[in-house]
Amino acid sequence: MKNNKHKLAEVISIVSHEFKTPLSAIKGYIEVLIAEDLGKLTVGQKDYLKDALENTHRMIELVHDLLDVSQIEQGKLELKPKPSNLENIIRKTIKEFLFVVRAKNCSISFKVLDKVPLLNIDPLKVKQVISNFISNAIRYSERKGDIEVFIKKKGNNVIFECNDNGIGIPKAEKKKIFTKFYRSEKAVIHATGGSGLGLFISKAIIKKSKGKIWFISKEDKGSSFYFSLPIKKYEK
Amino acid sequence: MKNKILVIEDDKFLLKLYTNKLKTNGFEVFGSLTGEEGMNKISVEKPDLIILDLILPRKSGFEVLSELKINPKTKNIPVIILTNLGQKSDVKKGLEMGAISYLAKTEFSVNQLPEIVRENLIKAKKK
Repeated sequence: MKNNKHKLAEVISIVSHEFKTPLSAIKGYIEVLIAEDLGKLTVGQKDYLKDALENTHRMIELVHDLLDVSQIEQGKLELKPKPSNLENIIRKTIKEFLFVVRAKNCSISFKVLDKVPLLNIDPLKVKQVISNFISNAIRYSERKGDIEVFIKKKGNNVIFECNDNGIGIPKAEKKKIFTKFYRSEKAVIHATGGSGLGLFISKAIIKKSKGKIWFISKEDKGSSFYFSLPIKKYEK
Repeated sequence: MKNKILVIEDDKFLLKLYTNKLKTNGFEVFGSLTGEEGMNKISVEKPDLIILDLILPRKSGFEVLSELKINPKTKNIPVIILTNLGQKSDVKKGLEMGAISYLAKTEFSVNQLPEIVRENLIKAKKK
């Protein structure tokens, strides 16, 4: 059984890699058209091409997620820890989301409640978790939603918190939220996109970083997602 | 005089995309679909910069890079690796072998390619 799971993960890994080349080509051809290298476009044509590009990005994201899942399933999730400034990682991530936040008429704030020392973490992987929390908060918020991000210290841990006042998670579905490919019925109705892999991957990354991941949620009121990472062991 | 760029890429659609993008931005561009053909073009055309894929038929990108870097005539040609191999070990290996830059195909926009090439040509001259 375990062997089959391993083989399946290997197949997913190979297939995902094979998808990357044609996806890169599709993405590139659309980008060239949008840049009007081959002639001027009408507003409508440009709009359709931008939608095509957005969907290509979704496919690429899915392929990356599948590769991560396959690595997790094979026990090959690779972390490259180095002394990293969590505050900077969060600011950088939020900056990347500002365009989407504004497009959805939402707001996002970030407060540092306690100064946090450098952590010995894989900055790219932790950024992936932060991105996942923030993108979920945006995706499952109504228009004009408020997203709040905090970091604070608690004992020998740093805690990252991301709050939203979105659709929330129904009580009956809370247990399944970190299961791969799981998306709540409400989430599927509310928003397109989202593969149901983000939180599964996030959990694996935080677990491997010797931290904890959890959430508090109330249906129709919103959700708060948290992760903690140990400070003491990694403090310089 | 136009800068000569050689693109070694085994996917014909990506090869067309990259070569056309560079041509329309004022570069003289040559393309190769295999590592072996790429090596021949390097000795004939003497490019100013090479864009190199890693998974290639007959001769891999790493083999091409290694041959380039041990030959005194070609060791100073800057090489940008443009690949889908995104594992940290591959990036490290490529840079340690002498590539000037390492890009993942799905994570960059082809519209940035001319600028990336220009920047790396300047970077290589300063070395």
